[in-house]
Amino acid sequence: MSRTPARLAAVAAAGTLVAVAATAATAGATRAGAGPIKIGISLSLSGDFSDSGKAAQRGYKLWAKVANSHGGVLGRKVQLVIQDDTSSPTQAQTNYQNFITKDKVDLVFGPFSTLLTAPSAAVANRYGYAFIEPAGGGPAVFQEKLHNVFFTQPAPVLQSADVFVKFLSSLPKSQRPKTAAYPSLDDPFSSPIADQVRALLQKKGVKTVYKTIYPSETTDMGPVIQKAASKHPDAIIGGTQNGDAYAQVKAMVQQKFSPKFVFLTNGPNDPAEFPSKVGAKNVNGIFSTGDWFPQEKSFGNAAFVKAYVKAYGGSSATIDPSSAEAFAAGQLVQEVAAKTKSIDNKTVISTLHKGTWKTVEGNLRWNSIGEPQGSDLLMEWIGGKLYPVYPKALALHKPLVPKPGWGSK
Amino acid sequence: MHQVIQAVILGLLIGGVYALMASGLTLVFGIMRVINVAQGALVILAAYLSYALFSHAHVDPFLSVLIVTPAMFVLGVLVQIVFVRSLRGDDAEELSLLVTWALALGIEGVLSVIFKTTYRATSPSYADKTLTVFGYQVQFVRLMAFVGSAALLLVLSLLLTRTKFGRAVRATVQNPTAATLLGVDANRVQTLSFGLGVSMAAAAGAVYGVIYPFNPGSHYDLISRLLSIVVLGGLGSLGGAVVAALVMGVTEAVVAVEWQPTWASFSYFIVLIVVLLIRPQGIFGVRERAL
Repeated sequence: MSRTPARLAAVAAAGTLVAVAATAATAGATRAGAGPIKIGISLSLSGDFSDSGKAAQRGYKLWAKVANSHGGVLGRKVQLVIQDDTSSPTQAQTNYQNFITKDKVDLVFGPFSTLLTAPSAAVANRYGYAFIEPAGGGPAVFQEKLHNVFFTQPAPVLQSADVFVKFLSSLPKSQRPKTAAYPSLDDPFSSPIADQVRALLQKKGVKTVYKTIYPSETTDMGPVIQKAASKHPDAIIGGTQNGDAYAQVKAMVQQKFSPKFVFLTNGPNDPAEFPSKVGAKNVNGIFSTGDWFPQEKSFGNAAFVKAYVKAYGGSSATIDPSSAEAFAAGQLVQEVAAKTKSIDNKTVISTLHKGTWKTVEGNLRWNSIGEPQGSDLLMEWIGGKLYPVYPKALALHKPLVPKPGWGSK
Repeated sequence: MHQVIQAVILGLLIGGVYALMASGLTLVFGIMRVINVAQGALVILAAYLSYALFSHAHVDPFLSVLIVTPAMFVLGVLVQIVFVRSLRGDDAEELSLLVTWALALGIEGVLSVIFKTTYRATSPSYADKTLTVFGYQVQFVRLMAFVGSAALLLVLSLLLTRTKFGRAVRATVQNPTAATLLGVDANRVQTLSFGLGVSMAAAAGAVYGVIYPFNPGSHYDLISRLLSIVVLGGLGSLGGAVVAALVMGVTEAVVAVEWQPTWASFSYFIVLIVVLLIRPQGIFGVRERAL
């Protein structure tokens, strides 16, 4: 039997497949030993997502510090192996590949944003690693239907505004909006959320009087708001990111258009930035959602806030939720370890899929593809401060309805 | 009709500010054949300087123009001397594109480090003030920005038409070789004009931050708009830049209100393409003769 180049290539390919399969099968197993527990994390420490990436880094590091000060996990110190991915999905994938095959870390935690999480989770899945991730809540992550993903926020991004619909439904009929306008940003994390709210509200009889999607390069919200205002809606419900949310509010103020309800998916939920962008006197009565807030009575939250302020300075109001989301990832590992006496990836995955888990982000549970099954919090600006106002059990203030005029308390 | 007229007012007011930004770009191109793609980044740099003066020293953003503009004139002169002047040969125009793009990225990087990537806005006490004229709303800050831009464009126009420096600039635009032979110091004219172009960006940037939230990456959108304004108006034409900026402002605002914001920018580019098909040199551009 002659050995042709084609046959040789086939044999080599088969050998490679076997080797990869063997690596994948063994890589997920926890390496026994008394050394530190190494956790690989790719983070956007430079590039577009660097602000949020650094906030997540603070959360991860704080968790490691707190855990180590209490003797580590299963008696082993926690060692974070953090690599910058420059906000690039390709680099994030490379980083996770290296963590698993070169650094031989015990566990991996997720990067920042859906864009980087989706491809990274697939790498972790290939090697049997659990992928506890704080910031990839978009459809791209869950479309892959990976069993190793666990998103450490209460709700997936697309369902994050459902809580606003529930809140409106809880109001006496006379106070509910009858008409709504939906100006939204052409962005996978903005307009689909507003579309979801619109579909739910239409079923409840709220008439859509205007809807539009504006491109990301739209800096001037004047014409968009002018058109919306001409339809006299009771509610403005915008699928927004921060910049266009600020511009929408400024345009409403300048055009003296003050609807009964203003709900924006992002922008108002940034307590440190929002008042300075739209004017502190214009924030009251504006709704948004959030996955975490400093006064939340969730598991370990008070200690987290205290430790954060001690470690990084500032106040509870300046803590970026990304830090809490990252901190929650560590809490989950600690709880699994306490329950099973193992941090083996297979154990982590199977254990987290059962029951409810207590974190600073609230009590989390997931379906088989890592989508959290809870609800975000409805936040509202009242008296110049941002409060959770719904669900009632978690509210720190009574909701302010309808929205007062611009410049009012 | 009320809606359309209201949109036209919005578009005209914002078009005036874009005209000021684009004036520097077209001036520099007319004199040096340099497409300064850092113009958008320079506008954003000025917006940050004005923001910093307002936040830390309580300097009114419109008054900050008096500080930011001369400071950035000096910056423009230095950039021209260090980066642009040294470009020689037939490739100088293409190389200047790369050099100014590198400058834009450098400015973006420095701003990201100092101010982070979160959005900023300069919000003086009158930021939300709105006047009602014949039933139409006119935002006070936009009106101020428009009037300020118009005044600066008038000063620039007078500078170019009524002064010795202006004559030297126009002579250099029309025929650099002849101008040099007649005793015009081309290097000096180019350096000062580059500084002047940057200072126009600076003045516009100072007021830009009052109207729109901005972050270091805001320059990408700006430069695409500014380049299209300059092309529509005619490369090197100050009057053309003003008219094109107003056309852009009004077209986008009216389409956004009457149709969809998605098509606002697209509709302006349709106008641009139609004009270029009829007049390839732009509205006020001069067709270059082949040698």
